[in-house]
Amino acid sequence: MIDVDGVTCRFGSDGGSGDADDGVVAVDDVTLSVPDGEFLIVAGANGSGKTTLVRTFNGLVEPDAGTVAVNGTPVSDDLVAARTAVGMVFQDPRDQLVAATVGADVAFGPENLGCSHAEIDRRVDDALAAVNMTGREDDRVASLSGGERERVAIAGALAMEPDHLVLDEPFTGLDEPARRSVLDRLRDLRAAGTSVIAVTHDLRDVLGLADRVVGIADGRVAVDAAPEAAAADLPGLDVRVPASFEADDSDRYATAAGGDAASGP
Amino acid sequence: MTLSYVPDGSLAHRLDPRSKLLVQIGFAAAAYAYTTPRGLAALTLLAVACLSLAGGGPRDLWTYRAAFPVLAIAPVVAGATLGAPWFRVERAATTGLASYRVLLILVVAAGYVRSTPVRESRAAIQRAVPGKAGQFLGTGVALVFRFLPLLKRDLLTAREAVQARGGGALPVRERMRLVAVAGINRAFGRADRLGTALNARCFAWNPTLPRLALGPADYPALAVGAGLVAAAVATLV
Repeated sequence: MIDVDGVTCRFGSDGGSGDADDGVVAVDDVTLSVPDGEFLIVAGANGSGKTTLVRTFNGLVEPDAGTVAVNGTPVSDDLVAARTAVGMVFQDPRDQLVAATVGADVAFGPENLGCSHAEIDRRVDDALAAVNMTGREDDRVASLSGGERERVAIAGALAMEPDHLVLDEPFTGLDEPARRSVLDRLRDLRAAGTSVIAVTHDLRDVLGLADRVVGIADGRVAVDAAPEAAAADLPGLDVRVPASFEADDSDRYATAAGGDAASGP
Repeated sequence: MTLSYVPDGSLAHRLDPRSKLLVQIGFAAAAYAYTTPRGLAALTLLAVACLSLAGGGPRDLWTYRAAFPVLAIAPVVAGATLGAPWFRVERAATTGLASYRVLLILVVAAGYVRSTPVRESRAAIQRAVPGKAGQFLGTGVALVFRFLPLLKRDLLTAREAVQARGGGALPVRERMRLVAVAGINRAFGRADRLGTALNARCFAWNPTLPRLALGPADYPALAVGAGLVAAAVATLV
Protein backbone atom coordinates (compact mmCIF):
# COMPACT_ATOMS: atom_id res chain seq x y z
CA MET A 1 0.00 0.00 0.00
CA ILE A 2 1.26 3.44 -0.95
CA ASP A 3 -0.15 6.35 1.05
CA VAL A 4 0.42 9.86 -0.24
CA ASP A 5 -0.64 12.58 2.17
CA GLY A 6 -0.63 16.25 1.24
CA VAL A 7 2.45 16.00 -0.94
CA THR A 8 3.81 19.16 -2.55
CA CYS A 9 6.94 19.30 -4.69
CA ARG A 10 8.57 22.46 -5.96
CA PHE A 11 11.42 22.85 -8.35
CA GLY A 12 13.78 25.78 -8.28
CA SER A 13 13.03 26.65 -4.66
CA ASP A 14 15.83 27.70 -2.36
CA GLY A 15 14.38 25.44 0.27
CA GLY A 16 14.46 27.84 3.12
CA SER A 17 12.62 31.04 2.40
CA GLY A 18 9.24 29.77 3.50
CA ASP A 19 7.72 31.69 0.64
CA ALA A 20 4.70 29.81 -0.74
CA ASP A 21 5.41 31.16 -4.24
CA ASP A 22 9.00 30.00 -4.13
CA GLY A 23 9.85 27.85 -7.18
CA VAL A 24 7.65 26.05 -9.68
CA VAL A 25 5.04 23.83 -8.07
CA ALA A 26 5.15 20.46 -9.83
CA VAL A 27 2.93 18.59 -7.37
CA ASP A 28 0.42 20.52 -5.33
CA ASP A 29 -1.04 19.05 -2.15
CA VAL A 30 -1.81 15.59 -3.52
CA THR A 31 -3.39 12.97 -1.31
CA LEU A 32 -4.15 9.46 -2.54
CA SER A 33 -3.73 5.79 -1.67
CA VAL A 34 -2.67 2.95 -3.93
CA PRO A 35 -3.73 -0.43 -2.55
CA ASP A 36 -1.80 -3.62 -3.29
CA GLY A 37 -2.86 -5.43 -6.43
CA GLU A 38 -4.35 -2.39 -8.14
CA PHE A 39 -3.66 -1.46 -11.78
CA LEU A 40 -3.58 2.30 -11.55
CA ILE A 41 -3.14 4.79 -14.36
CA VAL A 42 -1.70 8.20 -13.51
CA ALA A 43 -2.70 10.34 -16.47
CA GLY A 44 -1.82 13.88 -17.39
CA ALA A 45 -0.36 16.11 -20.06
CA ASN A 46 3.36 16.81 -20.35
CA GLY A 47 4.49 18.89 -17.38
CA SER A 48 1.39 18.10 -15.33
CA GLY A 49 3.51 16.69 -12.49
CA LYS A 50 2.65 13.01 -12.84
CA THR A 51 6.26 11.79 -13.12
CA THR A 52 7.33 13.93 -10.18
CA LEU A 53 4.45 12.51 -8.15
CA VAL A 54 5.34 8.86 -8.76
CA ARG A 55 9.01 9.55 -8.09
CA THR A 56 8.06 10.47 -4.54
CA PHE A 57 6.76 6.91 -4.11
CA ASN A 58 10.28 5.53 -3.78
CA GLY A 59 12.12 8.62 -2.64
CA LEU A 60 13.71 9.59 -5.94
CA VAL A 61 12.06 12.96 -5.35
CA GLU A 62 11.73 14.28 -1.83
CA PRO A 63 8.52 16.23 -1.23
CA ASP A 64 8.77 19.79 0.03
CA ALA A 65 5.65 19.15 2.09
CA GLY A 66 3.56 16.14 3.01
CA THR A 67 4.51 12.51 3.48
CA VAL A 68 4.62 9.32 1.46
CA ALA A 69 4.46 5.97 3.20
CA VAL A 70 4.97 2.55 1.64
CA ASN A 71 3.52 -0.39 3.55
CA GLY A 72 3.09 1.89 6.54
CA THR A 73 6.70 3.10 6.68
CA PRO A 74 7.51 6.68 5.65
CA VAL A 75 9.69 6.62 2.56
CA SER A 76 12.21 8.98 4.12
CA ASP A 77 12.69 6.57 7.04
CA ASP A 78 13.84 3.65 4.89
CA LEU A 79 14.75 4.46 1.30
CA VAL A 80 15.98 0.95 0.52
CA ALA A 81 12.69 -0.57 1.71
CA ALA A 82 10.73 1.95 -0.37
CA ARG A 83 12.84 1.34 -3.47
CA THR A 84 12.52 -2.40 -3.02
CA ALA A 85 8.75 -2.15 -2.61
CA VAL A 86 8.23 0.30 -5.48
CA GLY A 87 10.07 -0.70 -8.65
CA MET A 88 10.39 1.90 -11.35
CA VAL A 89 10.77 1.72 -15.11
CA PHE A 90 11.88 5.04 -16.56
CA GLN A 91 10.50 6.70 -19.66
CA ASP A 92 13.70 6.03 -21.58
CA PRO A 93 14.97 2.56 -20.67
CA ARG A 94 18.44 3.54 -21.85
CA ASP A 95 18.63 5.71 -18.74
CA GLN A 96 17.98 2.67 -16.62
CA LEU A 97 20.06 -0.10 -18.15
CA VAL A 98 23.47 -0.03 -16.51
CA ALA A 99 25.16 -3.26 -17.60
CA ALA A 100 26.47 -4.60 -20.89
CA THR A 101 24.36 -7.76 -20.95
CA VAL A 102 20.73 -8.53 -20.19
CA GLY A 103 21.50 -10.96 -17.36
CA ALA A 104 23.96 -8.62 -15.66
CA ASP A 105 21.52 -5.75 -15.85
CA VAL A 106 18.60 -7.67 -14.40
CA ALA A 107 20.89 -8.98 -11.64
CA PHE A 108 22.06 -5.47 -10.73
CA GLY A 109 19.19 -4.76 -8.29
CA PRO A 110 19.26 -8.07 -6.41
CA GLU A 111 23.06 -7.79 -6.12
CA ASN A 112 22.64 -4.39 -4.51
CA LEU A 113 20.13 -5.88 -2.09
CA GLY A 114 22.80 -8.37 -1.01
CA CYS A 115 20.86 -11.45 -2.13
CA SER A 116 22.66 -14.80 -2.27
CA HIS A 117 23.91 -16.03 -5.65
CA ALA A 118 21.19 -18.69 -5.81
CA GLU A 119 18.54 -16.08 -5.03
CA ILE A 120 19.95 -13.71 -7.64
CA ASP A 121 19.87 -16.46 -10.26
CA ARG A 122 16.28 -17.34 -9.36
CA ARG A 123 15.15 -13.71 -9.52
CA VAL A 124 16.85 -13.15 -12.86
CA ASP A 125 15.25 -16.28 -14.31
CA ASP A 126 11.80 -15.34 -12.99
CA ALA A 127 12.05 -11.72 -14.14
CA LEU A 128 13.18 -12.65 -17.64
CA ALA A 129 10.41 -15.25 -17.85
CA ALA A 130 7.88 -12.59 -16.85
CA VAL A 131 8.88 -10.43 -19.81
CA ASN A 132 9.18 -13.37 -22.20
CA MET A 133 12.98 -13.14 -22.52
CA THR A 134 14.05 -16.44 -21.03
CA GLY A 135 17.47 -17.53 -22.29
CA ARG A 136 18.51 -14.03 -23.36
CA GLU A 137 20.84 -13.44 -20.40
CA ASP A 138 23.96 -13.13 -22.54
CA ASP A 139 22.46 -10.79 -25.14
CA ARG A 140 24.17 -7.42 -25.34
CA VAL A 141 21.95 -4.57 -24.18
CA ALA A 142 23.32 -2.37 -26.98
CA SER A 143 21.98 -4.79 -29.59
CA LEU A 144 18.40 -4.87 -28.30
CA SER A 145 15.46 -3.23 -30.03
CA GLY A 146 13.45 -0.51 -28.29
CA GLY A 147 10.75 -2.95 -27.19
CA GLU A 148 13.31 -5.42 -25.89
CA ARG A 149 15.05 -2.68 -23.92
CA GLU A 150 11.72 -1.74 -22.37
CA ARG A 151 11.14 -5.36 -21.41
CA VAL A 152 14.64 -5.70 -19.92
CA ALA A 153 14.00 -2.51 -17.94
CA ILE A 154 10.76 -4.03 -16.65
CA ALA A 155 12.62 -7.25 -15.80
CA GLY A 156 15.25 -5.23 -13.92
CA ALA A 157 12.51 -3.66 -11.82
CA LEU A 158 10.69 -6.99 -11.33
CA ALA A 159 13.90 -8.64 -10.10
CA MET A 160 13.63 -6.42 -7.03
CA GLU A 161 10.33 -8.26 -6.41
CA PRO A 162 8.46 -5.03 -5.77
CA ASP A 163 4.95 -4.75 -4.37
CA HIS A 164 4.25 -2.02 -6.93
CA LEU A 165 5.72 -1.54 -10.38
CA VAL A 166 5.73 2.02 -11.74
CA LEU A 167 6.07 2.42 -15.51
CA ASP A 168 6.68 5.94 -16.77
CA GLU A 169 5.29 6.39 -20.29
CA PRO A 170 5.88 2.73 -21.17
CA PHE A 171 4.87 3.09 -24.82
CA THR A 172 6.79 6.21 -25.78
CA GLY A 173 8.98 5.70 -28.82
CA LEU A 174 7.91 2.10 -29.42
CA ASP A 175 6.78 0.80 -32.78
CA GLU A 176 3.61 -1.24 -33.07
CA PRO A 177 5.05 -4.72 -32.46
CA ALA A 178 7.06 -3.46 -29.50
CA ARG A 179 4.01 -1.64 -28.12
CA ARG A 180 1.93 -4.83 -28.39
CA SER A 181 4.71 -6.81 -26.74
CA VAL A 182 4.94 -4.46 -23.75
CA LEU A 183 1.14 -4.39 -23.50
CA ASP A 184 1.10 -8.19 -23.41
CA ARG A 185 3.62 -8.14 -20.58
CA LEU A 186 1.44 -5.68 -18.66
CA ARG A 187 -1.52 -8.03 -19.12
CA ASP A 188 0.63 -10.88 -17.78
CA LEU A 189 1.68 -8.81 -14.76
CA ARG A 190 -1.92 -7.87 -14.09
CA ALA A 191 -2.96 -11.51 -14.40
CA ALA A 192 -0.21 -12.46 -11.95
CA GLY A 193 -1.59 -9.96 -9.41
CA THR A 194 1.34 -7.50 -9.58
CA SER A 195 0.39 -3.94 -8.72
CA VAL A 196 1.08 -1.73 -11.69
CA ILE A 197 1.13 2.06 -11.80
CA ALA A 198 1.27 3.24 -15.41
CA VAL A 199 2.13 6.91 -15.93
CA THR A 200 0.98 8.11 -19.32
CA HIS A 201 -0.62 10.81 -21.42
CA ASP A 202 -1.94 8.24 -23.90
CA LEU A 203 -4.51 5.90 -22.39
CA ARG A 204 -5.70 4.26 -25.59
CA ASP A 205 -3.83 1.04 -24.88
CA VAL A 206 -4.08 0.74 -21.15
CA LEU A 207 -7.40 2.22 -20.08
CA GLY A 208 -9.14 -1.13 -20.44
CA LEU A 209 -6.58 -2.78 -18.16
CA ALA A 210 -6.96 -0.28 -15.33
CA ASP A 211 -8.83 -0.65 -12.07
CA ARG A 212 -8.62 3.09 -11.44
CA VAL A 213 -7.46 6.28 -13.12
CA VAL A 214 -5.97 9.31 -11.40
CA GLY A 215 -5.81 12.37 -13.66
CA ILE A 216 -3.28 15.07 -12.81
CA ALA A 217 -3.50 18.68 -14.00
CA ASP A 218 -1.23 21.47 -12.80
CA GLY A 219 0.10 19.20 -10.10
CA ARG A 220 -3.30 18.48 -8.58
CA VAL A 221 -5.57 15.46 -8.69
CA ALA A 222 -8.31 16.44 -11.15
CA VAL A 223 -9.83 12.99 -11.69
CA ASP A 224 -9.85 9.94 -9.43
CA ALA A 225 -12.30 7.33 -10.57
CA ALA A 226 -12.85 3.92 -12.13
CA PRO A 227 -11.91 3.92 -15.82
CA GLU A 228 -15.50 3.91 -17.07
CA ALA A 229 -16.28 7.03 -15.07
CA ALA A 230 -12.92 8.68 -15.68
CA ALA A 231 -13.05 8.29 -19.46
CA ALA A 232 -15.52 11.15 -19.80
CA ASP A 233 -13.44 13.64 -17.81
CA LEU A 234 -9.96 12.76 -19.08
CA PRO A 235 -10.06 14.57 -22.46
CA GLY A 236 -10.22 17.83 -20.51
CA LEU A 237 -6.73 17.04 -19.19
CA ASP A 238 -5.19 16.98 -22.68
CA VAL A 239 -4.63 13.23 -22.66
CA ARG A 240 -5.51 10.74 -25.36
CA VAL A 241 -8.29 8.29 -24.54
CA PRO A 242 -9.87 5.51 -26.59
CA ALA A 243 -12.99 6.39 -28.57
CA SER A 244 -15.00 4.14 -26.31
CA PHE A 245 -14.17 2.39 -23.08
CA GLU A 246 -13.90 -1.37 -23.23
CA ALA A 247 -12.61 -3.41 -20.31
CA ASP A 248 -9.65 -5.59 -21.27
CA ASP A 249 -10.42 -9.01 -19.85
CA SER A 250 -7.92 -10.88 -21.99
CA ASP A 251 -5.66 -11.53 -19.02
CA ARG A 252 -8.34 -13.70 -17.52
CA TYR A 253 -7.61 -16.17 -20.29
CA ALA A 254 -3.85 -15.77 -20.18
CA THR A 255 -2.03 -19.01 -19.72
CA ALA A 256 0.13 -19.75 -16.76
CA ALA A 257 3.08 -19.70 -19.14
CA GLY A 258 2.71 -15.98 -19.59
CA GLY A 259 -0.05 -15.23 -22.07
CA ASP A 260 0.66 -14.28 -25.63
CA ALA A 261 4.14 -15.49 -26.39
CA ALA A 262 3.90 -14.79 -30.10
CA SER A 263 4.49 -11.08 -29.80
CA GLY A 264 7.12 -9.09 -31.60
CA PRO A 265 10.36 -7.73 -30.21
CA MET B 1 31.86 1.15 -32.03
CA THR B 2 32.65 1.40 -28.32
CA LEU B 3 34.98 -1.06 -26.66
CA SER B 4 32.99 -2.96 -24.08
CA TYR B 5 32.35 -6.45 -22.80
CA VAL B 6 31.26 -8.86 -25.52
CA PRO B 7 29.68 -12.16 -24.39
CA ASP B 8 31.66 -15.03 -25.90
CA GLY B 9 33.02 -18.45 -25.03
CA SER B 10 36.67 -17.60 -25.68
CA LEU B 11 39.48 -18.78 -23.43
CA ALA B 12 39.92 -15.28 -22.01
CA HIS B 13 36.23 -15.14 -21.14
CA ARG B 14 36.65 -18.27 -19.03
CA LEU B 15 39.60 -16.88 -17.07
CA ASP B 16 39.28 -15.36 -13.64
CA PRO B 17 39.54 -11.55 -13.89
CA ARG B 18 42.38 -11.57 -11.35
CA SER B 19 44.50 -13.68 -13.72
CA LYS B 20 43.79 -11.26 -16.54
CA LEU B 21 44.63 -8.27 -14.38
CA LEU B 22 47.97 -9.84 -13.44
CA VAL B 23 48.77 -10.47 -17.11
CA GLN B 24 47.89 -6.85 -17.89
CA ILE B 25 50.06 -5.50 -15.11
CA GLY B 26 52.92 -7.79 -16.07
CA PHE B 27 52.62 -6.84 -19.71
CA ALA B 28 52.67 -3.12 -18.96
CA ALA B 29 55.72 -3.55 -16.74
CA ALA B 30 57.53 -5.61 -19.38
CA ALA B 31 56.65 -3.12 -22.10
CA TYR B 32 58.33 -0.36 -20.12
CA ALA B 33 61.31 -2.57 -19.23
CA TYR B 34 62.04 -3.97 -22.68
CA THR B 35 62.05 -1.12 -25.16
CA THR B 36 64.33 -2.65 -27.77
CA PRO B 37 62.86 -3.66 -31.13
CA ARG B 38 63.48 -7.31 -30.26
CA GLY B 39 61.71 -7.02 -26.92
CA LEU B 40 58.80 -5.17 -28.45
CA ALA B 41 58.55 -7.74 -31.24
CA ALA B 42 58.15 -10.49 -28.66
CA LEU B 43 55.58 -8.43 -26.78
CA THR B 44 53.73 -7.81 -30.05
CA LEU B 45 53.20 -11.55 -30.44
CA LEU B 46 51.97 -11.75 -26.86
CA ALA B 47 49.63 -8.77 -27.27
CA VAL B 48 48.10 -10.20 -30.43
CA ALA B 49 47.70 -13.54 -28.66
CA CYS B 50 45.93 -11.85 -25.72
CA LEU B 51 43.44 -10.10 -28.00
CA SER B 52 42.91 -13.24 -30.10
CA LEU B 53 42.30 -15.38 -27.03
CA ALA B 54 39.59 -12.87 -26.06
CA GLY B 55 37.91 -13.37 -29.44
CA GLY B 56 38.96 -9.92 -30.60
CA GLY B 57 40.70 -8.63 -33.68
CA PRO B 58 41.84 -5.48 -35.47
CA ARG B 59 38.29 -4.08 -35.38
CA ASP B 60 38.53 -3.70 -31.62
CA LEU B 61 41.50 -1.39 -32.04
CA TRP B 62 39.34 1.04 -34.03
CA THR B 63 38.03 2.22 -30.68
CA TYR B 64 41.42 3.75 -30.03
CA ARG B 65 41.49 5.66 -33.30
CA ALA B 66 41.52 8.98 -31.49
CA ALA B 67 44.85 8.02 -29.92
CA PHE B 68 46.49 6.95 -33.18
CA PRO B 69 47.32 10.45 -34.49
CA VAL B 70 48.90 11.40 -31.17
CA LEU B 71 50.98 8.21 -31.11
CA ALA B 72 51.96 8.70 -34.74
CA ILE B 73 52.93 12.36 -34.48
CA ALA B 74 54.90 11.98 -31.25
CA PRO B 75 58.06 10.59 -32.99
CA VAL B 76 57.92 13.40 -35.54
CA VAL B 77 57.74 16.03 -32.81
CA ALA B 78 60.47 14.30 -30.81
CA GLY B 79 62.79 14.07 -33.79
CA ALA B 80 62.31 17.65 -34.98
CA THR B 81 64.95 20.24 -34.01
CA LEU B 82 64.93 24.01 -34.36
CA GLY B 83 68.24 24.09 -36.22
CA ALA B 84 70.46 21.78 -38.21
CA PRO B 85 70.20 18.84 -38.65
CA TRP B 86 66.41 19.67 -38.35
CA PHE B 87 65.53 16.08 -37.60
CA ARG B 88 67.22 13.53 -35.33
CA VAL B 89 66.31 10.04 -36.39
CA GLU B 90 67.54 8.34 -33.20
CA ARG B 91 65.29 10.53 -31.04
CA ALA B 92 62.33 9.88 -33.31
CA ALA B 93 63.04 6.15 -33.20
CA THR B 94 63.16 6.11 -29.39
CA THR B 95 59.86 7.96 -29.16
CA GLY B 96 58.40 5.78 -31.90
CA LEU B 97 59.18 2.69 -29.87
CA ALA B 98 57.59 4.33 -26.83
CA SER B 99 54.46 5.08 -28.86
CA TYR B 100 54.42 1.53 -30.09
CA ARG B 101 54.57 0.07 -26.59
CA VAL B 102 51.61 2.24 -25.61
CA LEU B 103 49.75 0.75 -28.57
CA LEU B 104 50.65 -2.77 -27.39
CA ILE B 105 49.33 -2.04 -23.90
CA LEU B 106 46.10 -0.78 -25.46
CA VAL B 107 45.81 -4.04 -27.42
CA VAL B 108 46.10 -6.12 -24.25
CA ALA B 109 43.63 -3.80 -22.48
CA ALA B 110 41.17 -4.29 -25.35
CA GLY B 111 41.36 -8.05 -24.79
CA TYR B 112 40.65 -7.54 -21.09
CA VAL B 113 37.70 -5.20 -21.58
CA ARG B 114 36.22 -7.40 -24.28
CA SER B 115 36.36 -10.53 -22.13
CA THR B 116 35.53 -9.21 -18.65
CA PRO B 117 32.08 -8.09 -17.42
CA VAL B 118 32.18 -4.88 -15.42
CA ARG B 119 30.90 -6.52 -12.28
CA GLU B 120 33.68 -9.14 -12.45
CA SER B 121 36.26 -6.36 -12.68
CA ARG B 122 34.64 -4.76 -9.68
CA ALA B 123 34.71 -8.07 -7.80
CA ALA B 124 38.38 -8.63 -8.66
CA ILE B 125 39.34 -5.16 -7.48
CA GLN B 126 37.32 -5.36 -4.27
CA ARG B 127 38.92 -8.70 -3.44
CA ALA B 128 42.42 -7.50 -4.27
CA VAL B 129 42.04 -4.26 -2.32
CA PRO B 130 40.21 -4.94 0.94
CA GLY B 131 38.01 -2.54 2.86
CA LYS B 132 36.57 0.82 1.92
CA ALA B 133 39.42 1.57 -0.46
CA GLY B 134 38.56 -1.50 -2.53
CA GLN B 135 34.86 -0.66 -2.51
CA PHE B 136 35.61 2.88 -3.63
CA LEU B 137 38.03 1.75 -6.34
CA GLY B 138 35.77 -1.07 -7.57
CA THR B 139 32.74 1.18 -7.72
CA GLY B 140 34.73 3.86 -9.51
CA VAL B 141 35.92 1.42 -12.15
CA ALA B 142 32.38 0.06 -12.58
CA LEU B 143 30.90 3.55 -12.99
CA VAL B 144 33.56 4.62 -15.47
CA PHE B 145 32.95 1.55 -17.60
CA ARG B 146 29.20 2.19 -17.46
CA PHE B 147 29.33 5.94 -17.98
CA LEU B 148 31.97 6.33 -20.71
CA PRO B 149 30.12 4.44 -23.48
CA LEU B 150 27.00 6.51 -22.78
CA LEU B 151 29.01 9.72 -22.82
CA LYS B 152 30.66 8.77 -26.07
CA ARG B 153 27.28 8.04 -27.64
CA ASP B 154 26.02 11.44 -26.49
CA LEU B 155 29.00 13.17 -28.11
CA LEU B 156 28.40 11.28 -31.35
CA THR B 157 24.73 12.25 -31.44
CA ALA B 158 25.68 15.87 -30.70
CA ARG B 159 28.10 15.81 -33.64
CA GLU B 160 25.47 14.24 -35.90
CA ALA B 161 22.95 16.88 -34.85
CA VAL B 162 25.42 19.62 -35.78
CA GLN B 163 26.12 18.01 -39.15
CA ALA B 164 22.44 17.35 -39.88
CA ARG B 165 21.76 21.08 -39.75
CA GLY B 166 24.55 22.14 -42.03
CA GLY B 167 27.15 22.43 -39.30
CA GLY B 168 29.62 20.44 -41.37
CA ALA B 169 30.44 23.62 -43.28
CA LEU B 170 31.46 25.49 -40.13
CA PRO B 171 35.13 25.94 -39.20
CA VAL B 172 36.60 23.07 -37.20
CA ARG B 173 37.00 25.27 -34.13
CA GLU B 174 33.34 26.26 -34.17
CA ARG B 175 32.23 22.65 -34.66
CA MET B 176 34.42 21.56 -31.75
CA ARG B 177 32.91 24.29 -29.58
CA LEU B 178 29.34 23.28 -30.45
CA VAL B 179 29.95 19.58 -29.84
CA ALA B 180 31.88 20.26 -26.63
CA VAL B 181 29.17 22.52 -25.18
CA ALA B 182 26.40 20.10 -26.14
CA GLY B 183 28.50 17.19 -24.88
CA ILE B 184 29.10 18.79 -21.48
CA ASN B 185 25.41 19.62 -21.11
CA ARG B 186 24.45 16.08 -22.03
CA ALA B 187 27.11 14.64 -19.73
CA PHE B 188 25.59 16.46 -16.77
CA GLY B 189 22.10 15.33 -17.77
CA ARG B 190 23.36 11.79 -18.31
CA ALA B 191 25.08 11.79 -14.92
CA ASP B 192 21.84 12.93 -13.28
CA ARG B 193 19.83 10.20 -14.97
CA LEU B 194 22.40 7.53 -14.24
CA GLY B 195 22.44 8.59 -10.59
CA THR B 196 18.65 8.40 -10.44
CA ALA B 197 18.69 4.95 -12.06
CA LEU B 198 21.28 3.70 -9.59
CA ASN B 199 19.27 5.08 -6.68
CA ALA B 200 16.06 3.49 -7.98
CA ARG B 201 17.83 0.16 -8.07
CA CYS B 202 19.21 0.48 -4.55
CA PHE B 203 22.83 1.06 -5.53
CA ALA B 204 25.07 -0.37 -2.82
CA TRP B 205 28.77 0.10 -2.13
CA ASN B 206 29.08 -3.51 -1.13
CA PRO B 207 26.68 -5.60 -3.23
CA THR B 208 26.71 -9.36 -3.75
CA LEU B 209 29.65 -9.76 -6.09
CA PRO B 210 30.01 -12.53 -8.66
CA ARG B 211 31.77 -15.68 -7.56
CA LEU B 212 35.42 -15.69 -8.58
CA ALA B 213 37.33 -18.95 -8.73
CA LEU B 214 40.65 -19.86 -10.27
CA GLY B 215 40.33 -22.74 -12.71
CA PRO B 216 42.89 -24.91 -14.50
CA ALA B 217 43.21 -22.39 -17.33
CA ASP B 218 44.08 -19.64 -14.88
CA TYR B 219 47.36 -21.17 -13.75
CA PRO B 220 49.16 -20.73 -17.09
CA ALA B 221 47.79 -17.18 -17.23
CA LEU B 222 49.03 -16.48 -13.72
CA ALA B 223 52.40 -17.94 -14.68
CA VAL B 224 52.60 -15.67 -17.73
CA GLY B 225 51.65 -12.64 -15.65
CA ALA B 226 54.12 -13.46 -12.88
CA GLY B 227 56.82 -14.19 -15.46
CA LEU B 228 56.31 -10.81 -17.10
CA VAL B 229 56.48 -9.03 -13.76
CA ALA B 230 59.62 -10.96 -12.83
CA ALA B 231 61.21 -10.18 -16.20
CA ALA B 232 60.48 -6.50 -15.73
CA VAL B 233 61.89 -6.50 -12.19
CA ALA B 234 64.98 -8.36 -13.40
CA THR B 235 65.95 -5.39 -15.55
CA LEU B 236 66.09 -3.19 -12.45
CA VAL B 237 68.51 -5.35 -10.48
